[in-house]
Amino acid sequence: MSDPLSAHVKRLIVDTLRLDDVKPDEIRDEEPLIGSGLSLDSIDALELVVKIEKTYGIKIASAEESRAALASVASLTQFIRTRADPARLPA
Amino acid sequence: MVVNTPLPPRRNPGPSGGYRLLRALDRVLPEAIFRPLRAAGTLVAMAGMAEQRRHSYDYLTVALARRPTWRDVFRHFFAFEEVLMTRLRVINGQPHQSVFAPGSEDLRAWLESGTPALLGTFHVGVTELQGCQIAMKLHHPMHVVRLRVGNSHDTEKLEELFGDRLHFIWINEPAEMLLALKDAAATHGSIALQCDRPGYSARSEAFEFLGARRVFPFTIYHLAQIFQRPVLFAVGVPDGPDRARLHAIPRYEPRPGEPRAEALARARVHFQGFLQMVEEILREHPYLWFNFTPLNPVAPDSP
Repeated sequence: MSDPLSAHVKRLIVDTLRLDDVKPDEIRDEEPLIGSGLSLDSIDALELVVKIEKTYGIKIASAEESRAALASVASLTQFIRTRADPARLPA
Repeated sequence: MVVNTPLPPRRNPGPSGGYRLLRALDRVLPEAIFRPLRAAGTLVAMAGMAEQRRHSYDYLTVALARRPTWRDVFRHFFAFEEVLMTRLRVINGQPHQSVFAPGSEDLRAWLESGTPALLGTFHVGVTELQGCQIAMKLHHPMHVVRLRVGNSHDTEKLEELFGDRLHFIWINEPAEMLLALKDAAATHGSIALQCDRPGYSARSEAFEFLGARRVFPFTIYHLAQIFQRPVLFAVGVPDGPDRARLHAIPRYEPRPGEPRAEALARARVHFQGFLQMVEEILREHPYLWFNFTPLNPVAPDSP
């Protein structure tokens, strides 16, 4: 059974970055987001970070945090889970 | 906006450690003596900067539509030096005024409105100095995105001079820069970016400029969509020794909910309009685009 937060994050990535030719459930949890994998560039990363902060009410405060969080969907999901108010997470 | 490749060691065609000397000499020497000294210093600098000289030659070949002479290249270097001197004089406390060229009404309205915006500029004339002075007129901080080169002393002094209104975001640290941009937007400050050198831009596109389709940074319009901020473009052209004329075009305004493709199509028209204005300025003042780096490449699909 898929993790609701992971599915929510994948949907958010596809919608925010207008990845018209990618379906959320096609994104693997361990797929790299930047460079290889989804091949997001730095502007995509910025847009995604802004959207994540707004959606989940968290703050990515340093480049190290950003690099670690955006390494893959799994790491991003874990980052959100540890930082966000549980009330803001999908059930 | 950038930069996954290592940055080469770079410097502007100005002195590495001579800024204080220039500022001191400006206080004591009459201009009739000091100006020829600066010209001689510029010649020495020019002789020692083969790479910048080559890029200057390449740019002037296009801008002048003829083969440039050594005198042309010298005038290009000296124009840069004179703008540097203007900045140092402002650091020394000399006043510098701005007037608005016709068509700059949106820029003036923005200055009076206090609305945070993205301000795009080129390395033309006294634009950066004007940007600093604009920062003082705004009702909020101005964050300036800039590449730190080997001799950035004058810029750092300007940052000191303009105090808490002006903050530099150095693009030499790209990962930090993106977060700095995000934080700058969150403070409701305006953000100024130089948009004429594609080497440091994550998103670039080709536009008609100086007789070809050339690649320019286009990142500012993507930032406009992300932060929902208007985009203004302006350049400052010297208008006498202590005055600049600000040239700008009507602003680009993102529309909430507009499909990205349509928003970017409008942005392309907007930027092309700005390039047309800059080209008209450069046809009149070819030495004022401080292009001592490779000229914007012609797009592969250019006819």
